[in-house]
Amino acid sequence: MKEMMRYGFTLAVICVIASGLLAAVNSLTQPRIIARAQAEEDAALSQLLPRASSFTPVKSGGEVIYYKGYDKDNKFLGAVFKASGKGYSSVIETMAGLTKDGRITAIKIVSQNETPGLGSKVAEPNFMLRFSAKDVRELSRVQAITGATISSTAVINSVAGKAREIEELIKNER
Amino acid sequence: MKDKLKVSAAPHLHKKGESVSKIMWMVVLSLIPAGAAGVFIFGLNALRVIILGVVSAVVTEALLQLFTKNKITILDGSAVITGLLLAYNLPADVPFWLPIIGSFFSIAIAKQVFGGLGQNIFNPALAGRVFLMASWPKYMTTFSAPFSYDAVTSATPLALLKEGKILEHISYWNLFLGKRGGCIGEVCILALLAGAAFLLLKGYISWHIPGSYILTVGLFTYIFGPRGFFSGDWLFHVLSGGLILGAFFMATDYVTSPLTRRGHIVFGLGCGLLTAVIRLWGGYPEGVSYAILMMNAATPLIDRYTKTRIYGTKFSNP
Amino acid sequence: MKKLIKEFLKGIIKENPTFVLALGLCPTLAVSVSVRNGIGMGIAAGFVLLGSNVIIAMIKNIVPERIRIPCYIVVIATFVTIAELMLKAYSPVLNRALGIYVPLIVVNCIILGRAEAYASKNSVINSLFDALGMGLGFTLALILISGIREILGSGKLFGYTIMGGVEPALLFIMPSGALLVIGLLLGLFNLFKKDRA
Repeated sequence: MKEMMRYGFTLAVICVIASGLLAAVNSLTQPRIIARAQAEEDAALSQLLPRASSFTPVKSGGEVIYYKGYDKDNKFLGAVFKASGKGYSSVIETMAGLTKDGRITAIKIVSQNETPGLGSKVAEPNFMLRFSAKDVRELSRVQAITGATISSTAVINSVAGKAREIEELIKNER
Repeated sequence: MKDKLKVSAAPHLHKKGESVSKIMWMVVLSLIPAGAAGVFIFGLNALRVIILGVVSAVVTEALLQLFTKNKITILDGSAVITGLLLAYNLPADVPFWLPIIGSFFSIAIAKQVFGGLGQNIFNPALAGRVFLMASWPKYMTTFSAPFSYDAVTSATPLALLKEGKILEHISYWNLFLGKRGGCIGEVCILALLAGAAFLLLKGYISWHIPGSYILTVGLFTYIFGPRGFFSGDWLFHVLSGGLILGAFFMATDYVTSPLTRRGHIVFGLGCGLLTAVIRLWGGYPEGVSYAILMMNAATPLIDRYTKTRIYGTKFSNP
Repeated sequence: MKKLIKEFLKGIIKENPTFVLALGLCPTLAVSVSVRNGIGMGIAAGFVLLGSNVIIAMIKNIVPERIRIPCYIVVIATFVTIAELMLKAYSPVLNRALGIYVPLIVVNCIILGRAEAYASKNSVINSLFDALGMGLGFTLALILISGIREILGSGKLFGYTIMGGVEPALLFIMPSGALLVIGLLLGLFNLFKKDRA
């Protein structure tokens, strides 16, 4: 019994010290981590809707569905949204900007794990630029990458589907 | 006494007048019709691929044996077979360096690293092909159309099937004669069967592996057809892709297949199941090379469970 | 001092964690697609190894024999979490590239292996040098493997194209390419050892 107490006590002391240390490191790094994430998001947003100067998230049930972008005079410009589709070997997550008259400004692959050198080409500018200034209804005509049809259509279809949804939502927005 | 008990690596021979190199050259001979048909169908580019594959396989083997100060055994024909089979598994219009690198990988990595002929676990030609497939999928999946001779590309029938297209203009007869897109040595079933018949008649290969392999693929693709059970186009699956080439010339490789007849049947069955599963539900249109390589890995295990009984003893479970 | 240098040097060649002890192969296979990732992983694991080896050598007499493993794991996990938070705060790109393999350093067998086999039996200063040597050996092994893989698999080194015009062999940036490279390097290592012995 006495042995057991000693074991428990030793382990407890080690755990307390460890958690104290972790708490200290966490409080030191936390603000930086949050700032980094925020900066990255801002960069992505303004890259996708370059003319907008401020963004407000539109939430539903705590989750961000899309961001609304406004210019300097607080005039509504368009939306930035996230889309995801099943590619060849992974779920491809894409962010895209949409103007209020229903055109895609640009897209950006956020995460993918497709075959390197083949499916992964969807994350290259050459493919992403094919979306620029395309009308929402024209998206199905974006050309797929030769040899990487599955990955390309995953991006095209997920962006096209989500874009139509978002377009409905922002239609009456001014 | 000690000197008289020599344990040599497979293949083991028991017929008089046979030697490893004689069998190897006979296999080379039996492969010539399929290659000739490939050159006839796809043009001189195919011949270039074959020559590059064979020459670089032989040169690699010679250089490595020179470098490691081993006896140079390029005349036994095994490197020629590896280079030949690798070239047969390539499309006709690949860039010139592709068969060279493939042959180098086959001989250096898949064969000599393990200790040379008889020591390799995996079929060297298939290992080389899979290496090329994973490394340069763009070239390995661009097939030229038959009888076009000027770089018109066409998908293989199996690739079309995988994309969900309906195969209208392809007849069994065209598949049998080789009028379709594909690798150099796999398209002309007629020529392949002629070579295989020669090997079977001479007794260099037995029917057990190819028989059980092809039968399993046929049965499986028939049962799990696209429109419910027992509706599959089994003849199409048997005739297309590299099944015939693989079943007769690569699955029967002495070194990497089991030793006993019972083992052969198990091996062929496994190859057949894997091929059909990859074709029907896998990510690739064709699965012959992967199936054979996977069963190569299972060969020691099959040998362990299909040991022949020593005369006068009972089976002992391993 | 001479003994300390020996403790330090043994981790680099004679008892190299990857090529001789064959420990920690899982992260080695997973992250060695580029030299940058390899160095990042090596430094992160080396940092954890250093921290855990020193602390474990310090507390080895306080910790009862029967609960030593949970104690070691708590120590190791603490350092791993510190490493992860630091990476997130100061190098998010590297953190994303290494992904799940940063938290998985907890179960990297080099670290618990050195704790159990070395730090729990030797002095603090010896353990410090052991950790430095092992960490450096692991990092060097990762640099070697990831260097080969990056050159052959993507034609680049440190992200800069060095083989323009040559199409790289994609196999080498896939997991199977990692197994191939590690296997061949292990073989070479054994060959040289046999020659010397």
